Amino acid sequence: MQPVLKVQALSKSFRSRAGIFKRKHIQVLREISFAVGPGETLAIIGETGSGKSTLAKLLAGADHADCGQILLDGKTIEDDGVRQNQCRHIRMIFQDPTRSLNPGITIGDMLDDCLKYNTGLTSLQRNKKIKITLSRVGLLSEHYEYYPHMFSGGQLQRVALARALILDPKVVVLDEALSSLDPSVRAQTVNLLLQLQKESGLSFILITHHLSLVKHMSDQLLVLSRGKVVEYGNTASIFAQPKSKVTQRLLNV
Amino acid sequence: MQLLDIRNLTIELRTEDGVIRAVDKVNLSLKEGEVHALVGESGSGKSLIAKAIVGVLNSRWTVTADRMHWQGVDLMRLSAEKRRKIVSKDMAMIYQEPSRSLDPTAKIFEQVAESLPEKTFKKGFFSRNSERKEKVKALLHKVGIREHVKVASSYPHELSEGVCQKVMIAMAIARNPKLLIADEPTTALESTTRAQIFRLLKSLNQLKNMSILMISHELEEITHWSHAMHVLYCGQMVEAGPTQKVFYEPLHPYTQALVKSLPDYAQGLAHKEPFYALKGTIPPLQHLPIGCRLGPRCPQAQKQCVVTPLQNKSHGHAYACHFPLFKDKQKCNQS
Repeated sequence: MQPVLKVQALSKSFRSRAGIFKRKHIQVLREISFAVGPGETLAIIGETGSGKSTLAKLLAGADHADCGQILLDGKTIEDDGVRQNQCRHIRMIFQDPTRSLNPGITIGDMLDDCLKYNTGLTSLQRNKKIKITLSRVGLLSEHYEYYPHMFSGGQLQRVALARALILDPKVVVLDEALSSLDPSVRAQTVNLLLQLQKESGLSFILITHHLSLVKHMSDQLLVLSRGKVVEYGNTASIFAQPKSKVTQRLLNV
Repeated sequence: MQLLDIRNLTIELRTEDGVIRAVDKVNLSLKEGEVHALVGESGSGKSLIAKAIVGVLNSRWTVTADRMHWQGVDLMRLSAEKRRKIVSKDMAMIYQEPSRSLDPTAKIFEQVAESLPEKTFKKGFFSRNSERKEKVKALLHKVGIREHVKVASSYPHELSEGVCQKVMIAMAIARNPKLLIADEPTTALESTTRAQIFRLLKSLNQLKNMSILMISHELEEITHWSHAMHVLYCGQMVEAGPTQKVFYEPLHPYTQALVKSLPDYAQGLAHKEPFYALKGTIPPLQHLPIGCRLGPRCPQAQKQCVVTPLQNKSHGHAYACHFPLFKDKQKCNQS
């Protein structure tokens, strides 16, 4: 089976000032490689500063890598920092839905913008698509006219999910998207994600601190430490037998 | 002896469309040296209760209670000045987002030094400064900050969230309070720092016999070391009692849903199988249902549920539900 998303030897470093003329290089990611199959979930765990969020940004195309490739369905979409301009196949959901949505425009306009800039659909087709997507994530078509402040936190996370799903992506990156939610809302959201994955074969990349969620949702696990892959493999087997010390410490907490 | 004893605490907000009852008849009692947890989702009025106890709610809110006793003294009947004296002597509160609740324009040393009471200084006036430095250093060491020189001379924005939280705790314990109210102390932190903060609070409770009222929405973290648990839903106390009992034998459908939504405790749940979750969302405060506020979402709701259920109590385990979930075993014993 061909993987949906394949990442090969991805590296990233940041430059910062260390003096008047000196520059300091901080290597954030070192030769990261992994592959995600269709309908699979890859969980990424690690301490703060291990490069999890940077990796998420690179995947979603918000930042460019120094070297390495990202392949989607066998086609290269990023090669040594040169990116094909396609943000529609890998979408991202952010941590805090109350802060990541524009408070000034309605939900409908927000979703419409996504379609307007990325597809060639007519306005009738766009309207239809928005309605379908809203019902897919469990919202009503009346919510088209609503502003973000009229929703509760759990519903906002659904809106964020709708914004991610409206372009029919193959991979959705969840950067701590579940940790700020209340437990019962989180259970609902997880159920929704799992149902969507079952129905349409979406792949998720889950970045979280929540180990019990990782155990429940993910098929593969990637442990990062200081930008390096420490452990990568089947979730169940890593939970049963963590090999490296970093993983053991993370799983013990 | 009861340290804090609150009966029928009601907090209301007057708005143009009428009075909103944000917290409805909540009972709470706390003994010395106990850790109590206040669990509920956002908007259920947990923080309001904490603020009402400390008395920092602004005048838009009306707080009424049948009694609110602190060591036998009714706080509601005291003058504002007397009340403030008692509260500042015996209670301390840690707020939700530490880096936001610290003063951004003052260094950590000044802020911690400010919270030291005058009485703790034993030496004369002229050695006050050096004594103050000693005290701040000792406090910072106590909460597990090793580089006290560096931390004391920095501003809050230069420190990580975890260190800020530790500084907040240092300021809170400077007066040796009898009750520490921790309002979601770990929501902004990640797992390793979270464990550190819990260890710190636990040791304060055990070594200094400090009572702690923990407010949180993460059930699993506090079940291991809290003595009692109060579950809130939309301002109503749905269940209260010893933690183990509430957690393993919940009587209220909402508590059951909370426990079942945790992957670690849901029994027989296969990989990637959906969780048990209540349908619908939490109603906003403007549109609260009458009677039992869980009513529209409750799987067991019946006609009777439009009347607010009274709190029943058996063996220290209180619940407010018309149709509690008794186990079959108990039913046999009763009949």
